[in-house]
Amino acid sequence: MNSQVFIGQTAFVNLVLAASGTFEFGLKFPSVANRLGGVVTKAITLQPRIGNPPPRICEFPGGILNSVGLENPGVEQFCTDVVPRTAKLKCRVVVNIAGFTLDEYGELAARLDSEPVDGLEVNVSCPNVREGGALFGQQPRVVEAITALVRKRTTKTVIVKLTANFVDPVETAKAAEAAGADGVTLINTLFGLALDEDGRPFLGGRTGGVSGPALKPFALFCVDRVAAAVKIPIIGCGGVMDAADALDFLSAGARMVQVGTANLVNPEAALDVWAGLKQYAQENRLSNWQQVVGRARRRS
Amino acid sequence: MRPTLCPVVQVRELCAGVFSLWLEAPEIARRVRPGQFLNVKVSSGPDPLLRRPISVCDVERSRVRLVVRVVGRGTALLGRVRAGDELDVLGPLGRPAPELHHKDVLLCGGGIGTAPLLFFGRRLKRANRLQVLLGARTKAELLLVREFRALGARVALATDDGSAGHGGMVTELAEAALPDRGRRGQVRSPKSRVLGQRVGRRPVVFACGPRPMLADLVKRLDPIPVWGFVEERMGCGTGICYCCALPKKGGGHVRFCEEGPVVRLNEVLL
Repeated sequence: MNSQVFIGQTAFVNLVLAASGTFEFGLKFPSVANRLGGVVTKAITLQPRIGNPPPRICEFPGGILNSVGLENPGVEQFCTDVVPRTAKLKCRVVVNIAGFTLDEYGELAARLDSEPVDGLEVNVSCPNVREGGALFGQQPRVVEAITALVRKRTTKTVIVKLTANFVDPVETAKAAEAAGADGVTLINTLFGLALDEDGRPFLGGRTGGVSGPALKPFALFCVDRVAAAVKIPIIGCGGVMDAADALDFLSAGARMVQVGTANLVNPEAALDVWAGLKQYAQENRLSNWQQVVGRARRRS
Repeated sequence: MRPTLCPVVQVRELCAGVFSLWLEAPEIARRVRPGQFLNVKVSSGPDPLLRRPISVCDVERSRVRLVVRVVGRGTALLGRVRAGDELDVLGPLGRPAPELHHKDVLLCGGGIGTAPLLFFGRRLKRANRLQVLLGARTKAELLLVREFRALGARVALATDDGSAGHGGMVTELAEAALPDRGRRGQVRSPKSRVLGQRVGRRPVVFACGPRPMLADLVKRLDPIPVWGFVEERMGCGTGICYCCALPKKGGGHVRFCEEGPVVRLNEVLL
């Protein structure tokens, strides 16, 4: 079965991506990356960022909270040091970009336009920074403006990674679609707070982003809603631990899935997800993935 | 890199809440170097989700030894593992510690921090003169003393309550072992009882223990560089999540699953 998926003009050989921030730049495990549809890089900002103080991660029954705070080398060093190496990967490389002002998104898009990367995932949903991030993603008009600007400044495929923190992603997804996005990723982590035994915030960044299995029902809910409202492809993300989870996202209307937190437990988790999906397709004699995509709505 | 299921061949409680586990893990035993760790899944399900990083304590033929202290829910689950069970482990991970040829080595361990130092001692070349300083709260909590002695090392002990060895901190023993450090960290005193017998020869110090101990050691031995293991919450253990950050002096972070877990303690904020 041909599993090629198009997001904009970019063809992905299969429907599994490694999610931003959970797989570095794909360079630690190139043999895994090479067999995925693609890798979404850690978020890249205009200036280098040292990120949040530790601790940056903690657990709860059902998932984790992280507050890395967009630690990254900045776009210049990324282009000189990292891109030449990601260009050698056999999979698609999508660069997650995060700005703190509207203009920064434009500059990031323009700077990366001449680089050998396959697409941009516009991050308007990071929960771990004081300005920008999820605050942008909460306002449909801001999402529209950022998307339109990025669209104007790049010829590459543009995916917008949306938040579901205090906002109906239907509105922001429509805004992204209207502004020319080729696809949307749903959802980023949800705001969360963890306390230590003395009642102090545990994470160095004070609050964090919740990910892992606990996120899945809500992420599915969002994908299902947005799938009914936009025509551009949706990349489902949030608690995909195995192929059964991935299948749920496809059934809810996602064309592709991202594997995130599971990579932390097993660096080959995304490959396992893809292997499980292939097995499912074989066992159920699927002729194409469209038979599964969005079937939750057809079956209710 | 795939996680592997390793049969647990022996479990022993070394003292209250501290367990020694021997795993049958030929591939890991062959590849692991001092300083590296294994990332261990403590439950078969999603809770707790993340693996627990445990430094390798010893290797014997195809077997790998881990020594674990129960500190939370995850390690408590590890404490319930029995011989015959299988552990899901990923590794070896982390950067091997610098190789030490023909150098004098001082190992300084506190509490459970004693465990990874044993593997160091085991792999030192014959030419290395080894001194080991071990500390704990009480005599019963001193770990692996017999094993260190079996390496032929000089072993000195310290306990908080004075029940064995020096009554006080292990860092005091370290300071006494390196009495005259000179300006550039050279051990110049010919009177040094245990190390630096040859004038101008500087021992390499490796330490592992609770953070206050490590901070105290760095202060006491300054300007001698101290290499050490630091514990911090880890996400992946493989360098992909950027969660195990330790602030560096002068800004930025060290990711110690990637650049460590053995780092120059003088260069980080403990």
